[in-house]
Amino acid sequence: MEKQDIVNYFSNILEKEKDVSAGMAAIRTLLEVLKHDKSETVQELDSNLRAAGDAMRNTDYPTTAVVSGCELFSRFVTLTNLDTASFGECKTIMLQRGEFFLKKLGLSRGKIAKLANNFIVDGSRILTHSKSRVVLQAMQEAANANKRFEVFVTTSSPDSSGVEMYHELEKASIPCTLILDSAIGYVMEQVDMVMVGAEGVVESGGIINKVGSFTMAVCAKEMKKPFYVLTESFKFVRTFPLNQRDIRNDFKYPASKLLSDLSKEHPLVDYTPPAYITLLFTDLGILTPSAVSDELIKLYL
Amino acid sequence: MLEKKDCCESVSKFIQDIKQKKISGSYNIAISTVELLKKLIIQTEWKTAEELLKIIQDESKHLHQNLPLYPTVESMVGRILKIIREEYINGREDRPDADAGVIQSLQRLMLAESPAEDYKSIVPELQEAILEHITELETELENSMFDFSADNIVQQACEHIHSNEIILTIGKSSLVEAFLKAAAAERKFEVIVAECAPFCLGHEMAVRLARSKIETTVIADSSVFALMSRVNKVIIGTHTIMANGGLRAVCGSHSVALAAKHFSVPVYVLAPMYKLITTYLCSYDQDAFNCFVSPEGVLHYSDGAILSKVHVYNPVFDYVPPELVTLFISNNGGHAPSYVYRLNSELYRLDDK
Repeated sequence: MEKQDIVNYFSNILEKEKDVSAGMAAIRTLLEVLKHDKSETVQELDSNLRAAGDAMRNTDYPTTAVVSGCELFSRFVTLTNLDTASFGECKTIMLQRGEFFLKKLGLSRGKIAKLANNFIVDGSRILTHSKSRVVLQAMQEAANANKRFEVFVTTSSPDSSGVEMYHELEKASIPCTLILDSAIGYVMEQVDMVMVGAEGVVESGGIINKVGSFTMAVCAKEMKKPFYVLTESFKFVRTFPLNQRDIRNDFKYPASKLLSDLSKEHPLVDYTPPAYITLLFTDLGILTPSAVSDELIKLYL
Repeated sequence: MLEKKDCCESVSKFIQDIKQKKISGSYNIAISTVELLKKLIIQTEWKTAEELLKIIQDESKHLHQNLPLYPTVESMVGRILKIIREEYINGREDRPDADAGVIQSLQRLMLAESPAEDYKSIVPELQEAILEHITELETELENSMFDFSADNIVQQACEHIHSNEIILTIGKSSLVEAFLKAAAAERKFEVIVAECAPFCLGHEMAVRLARSKIETTVIADSSVFALMSRVNKVIIGTHTIMANGGLRAVCGSHSVALAAKHFSVPVYVLAPMYKLITTYLCSYDQDAFNCFVSPEGVLHYSDGAILSKVHVYNPVFDYVPPELVTLFISNNGGHAPSYVYRLNSELYRLDDK
């Protein structure tokens, strides 16, 4: 597949299927690349997959999950016994594993929603930030289980993704209120917990998420409200930011802006250190932030 | 073979015995839970591990509903469910891979070759293998609990208590008592006991410590903060360790832990592994979390005239969040609260509920 085809395939998924996150789309694209791949050696294949990953990173979609998804995918397809006779057979095995991987990941959102369900009790008031598909699904499931709870959603500038979240929640007939980003401190005293999604979970156990999440986390900590993160495990990414400046530029800014003067650009994501996170709900179970590093070390060591 | 009805009967009897305190003390409860489950394994009819797991899971739900405040029961059921799974996988002839399905992790997700194990195949001599493994568990329990002086936790006492230190504890815990006595055999130190009103079991604790020639002071719960500045260490027992490392401990522990945090005094919690459960505190008004007993100690019945005008509550437990605990001292060493999730995944299978 040519670079342009890859990018088209990738953006096509994201535009047509609103329910698919960038990370999932990246993994599906890589699987497609693997299907059409004509390489003769593992090394060539590896570099092709890498190139495909780079091509997807150069789009204006959120890249954190793309990076983690691509890395996990190449790990997953290659981490197996490949001592077969021909490279062709080897590739079939990889394809099977890829499909299996994708199927497994598809189930994770449901698992997380089920875990988070116990924490939403009757009468709770939940604050959430921006739009997260996992958080949305967890709330929909809680509503289906006849739980009575109320949600506050931030508008979340600059792309107002919170408004979308607000409409989705209204559709599910969950009582919700749209608030200004600057009103986080104002509503914090009224809520029982904060639930956010994540674009990426880093090695320290902290998260990279839509800008404003850190503000919310600091505020929640100060007011002693639990800060829960709902996220799929394919978003675990191997980076260890020490502060906000330390986050990779391609995570923070859209690819089209990377060559301009970044000091004048608005960052799209921020880093929330693990000290502000109470628990992470993942398809691997409920984890404390320190458990995340454990999982990543086990995989990549 | 045991009919469904009989099996329910023995479970009901077990629940009743615990509720009426015919079986009391964590050690006895642990042993009788294991006995009960052994009986279920031997006497009910099952062919595959899947059926057996189902039987035990059903009973476990029943037990949990009736005895929500007994972590030992929950913990033992969890241990045994895991034993069944392990023995099944060990007994399989083709042995997919050593610990498939036992621990979930990102690595497992990556390396898994086949879909999750369904426990449906018939494994020869599964029952014998399971029972043998359970006997090992019983020996472990006996070693750690039959005799406090032989207990691993108590043996660590001298590592944590140094000469001339001032230790603060709250209420009565036989484990803490044994721990302090073990240290006192080698070192001289001072103990402050908060009385833990309204039950005031701290008084009894103080008497016992004083008898073993430990310099002991009893204080009211309200003076904990005032005295904390001179305390070197807080050592307490607990009723349960929650899955996030928080504690369900005797009422008053939270204020002790907060005072300790204020003065940066380390808080050590003595807790054998069978106090660890896989539940989280989801909300402070969770019904099953606390238990309320007769308010007699708070307001005497002789104060009859006021009784109709006021509400009187007497909760038994406090939730202590994990960030207030410095270290757990358990039978296999010291653990930080952030490590509890790991112990949980080693001892139990987390979706076994």
